[in-house]
Amino acid sequence: MRLAIGAYTATSAAGVGLQALRDSIDNRQSGLRRNDLQNCDIDTWIGRVDGVEDVSLPSHLDHLFSRNNQLAWFGLQQDGLLQSIAQLADRVGPDRVGVIMGTSTSSIGRTEEAFTCLLPSGQIAEEFQQQEVHSLHSPGFFVAEATGLTGPAITISTACSSSAKVFASAYRWINHGLVDAVLVGGVDSLCMSILYGFHSLELVSPELCRPFDRRRNGINIGEGCGYALVAREDLLPDAQFALLGYGESVDAYHMSHPHPQGEGAVIAMDRALERSKLTADSIDYVNLHGTASQANDRTEAHALARRFTDKTLVSSTKAWTGHALGAAGILEAIITLEAMRSGINPGTLNCGQPDPELAFPVLTDNVSQPVRFGMTNSFGFGGNNASLIFGQMND
Amino acid sequence: MTDVDVVGLGVWSESFSNWEEFCHVLSGGSAETGRTLKPQAIAPNERRRAPLSVKMAVEVMDQACRMAALEPATVATVFASALGDMHLTEYMCRTMADAPQAISPTRFHNSVHNAATGYWSIATQSHCPSSAVSGYSNSVSMAILDGAIQAVEEQIPVLVTVQEVATAPAFKSVYEWTQPFSAAMLLSPVGMCSSNIASLRLNASSNLVEPPQLEDIPGIDLSGNPAARLLPLLIAIAEQRNADVQLPLSRGSSLAISIDVGCQARQSES
Repeated sequence: MRLAIGAYTATSAAGVGLQALRDSIDNRQSGLRRNDLQNCDIDTWIGRVDGVEDVSLPSHLDHLFSRNNQLAWFGLQQDGLLQSIAQLADRVGPDRVGVIMGTSTSSIGRTEEAFTCLLPSGQIAEEFQQQEVHSLHSPGFFVAEATGLTGPAITISTACSSSAKVFASAYRWINHGLVDAVLVGGVDSLCMSILYGFHSLELVSPELCRPFDRRRNGINIGEGCGYALVAREDLLPDAQFALLGYGESVDAYHMSHPHPQGEGAVIAMDRALERSKLTADSIDYVNLHGTASQANDRTEAHALARRFTDKTLVSSTKAWTGHALGAAGILEAIITLEAMRSGINPGTLNCGQPDPELAFPVLTDNVSQPVRFGMTNSFGFGGNNASLIFGQMND
Repeated sequence: MTDVDVVGLGVWSESFSNWEEFCHVLSGGSAETGRTLKPQAIAPNERRRAPLSVKMAVEVMDQACRMAALEPATVATVFASALGDMHLTEYMCRTMADAPQAISPTRFHNSVHNAATGYWSIATQSHCPSSAVSGYSNSVSMAILDGAIQAVEEQIPVLVTVQEVATAPAFKSVYEWTQPFSAAMLLSPVGMCSSNIASLRLNASSNLVEPPQLEDIPGIDLSGNPAARLLPLLIAIAEQRNADVQLPLSRGSSLAISIDVGCQARQSES
């Protein structure tokens, strides 16, 4: 089965909505800035979405208030997505459309805030007694409420592979006949525990991140949100792209270090290729996980070298958006779809001195070359990996 | 409609620490309580680093695989919890409020929702697909549905684990449950494994249903614990009776689960 991809949209530091993202990619304009988060003194760069804190939620969603849900709502407003959802729901019924969101940290930013003003008893004060918001399901619950979709709704939280895996679950749900369509998405927002947590693991760079560069010394954390409406082919006759395959795996190696030879990554890519019935050489472009950590880039290059040749262009777009964690999967799936739409393969930004020690070369400048088949990789803590392969619908 | 076999089960709470004790408690017996949880599936050095939430999950996952006599490295996993490890969340948020630079890197990486399945995969050397999900109060029904569909679509046994730790102190003004509970149900495509304990037929629909009233289990109060929504299924299987259970899935959908414990009869028919 090919899963048709209808409307999609992305919001990140590299732009709010698709046109802004396209402009950033075309102009090679990073969305990263020096860390200006309040009360956070870590010397680093972040990918912050302007204006999230000013987003007001409709009154019926007020009880779900959090920065993460503000960002989710902001993202839903872009590119006519809500209209596309409403049109599809009208045709098949809102109960025949599922919701699958991916997130790493859900609304923990709101929980952090609650802990700055606990009651004298040490418990969470009334203003913050938001049952769904402190749950990992906060984004899935919020998006279902915000869109009026009433089909099964779930949130996947497997660290940085979360919103790549949403496509795999949606594929299974639709192929199985559980629903006719699924709104898949991912959202993660900047918060203190993520910045200080990654900092404690010595993974945060004090400079602009440099994926695959010999001088790379860590990640820049970003926030972002993306959605795609996916359905059976017959329901989306105008769809331009399809999900052809997905591969999920775990490293079985370490909680926060990738497998040195990229074992789990290779298994995920192999499973995606197998399901798509494609060979590695037929993949034109791969959007990498490419975080700019020493370990990720080394092992991902290793994994690529085990399957791909120089027929395939590969790059990381993390220096545009920052690492948006649980939202990275969908953001990079959308960047891959955009490369397939425009034929512009984004060259890795900020990689002026490609690391000669790495086992596979990355693209460092934008190259115009048609992308028939595009792939994206997402790898997370707990050794959790996902690879997705997309194709042109009229192929 | 989705049909799967249940081929293994695992349970843990403060009042029973495995399936045998669970059955014993249900039939009016009592079990030894207050024992330290020491899941044998993970190596002692990993066990020292693992938080209680991970130990609770790994313990029941191991029990279910043993009951099914299935090699753990051959099963996919779906872990579900409404809140994840609330105690780690509390630790991190308190640290952020007091002294953010003091955050422990180990506790930070243990705080990912997929920590339990991460530790499990390392212990069992499994590369099989592994997910961690939440549906808030509908985590149990969504995980069973998602896991069963994966079992059928991918033709692989799927180990569905549901758990909720005790409410952490600061969250007591928000959530009502007091006791931890974890359970695992190993779902397999129909007929794939020889040792099925029960068969499940799942039907998702737009019918609206109320969550079931939990039956009292002597000596333990799991009311309000989202993971305890699995209990009606577990109790029916333990008591060897067929049952129909309805659980909400989302605001506008529900899951009807028919439990058939007459597996031998079904097997001989086919």
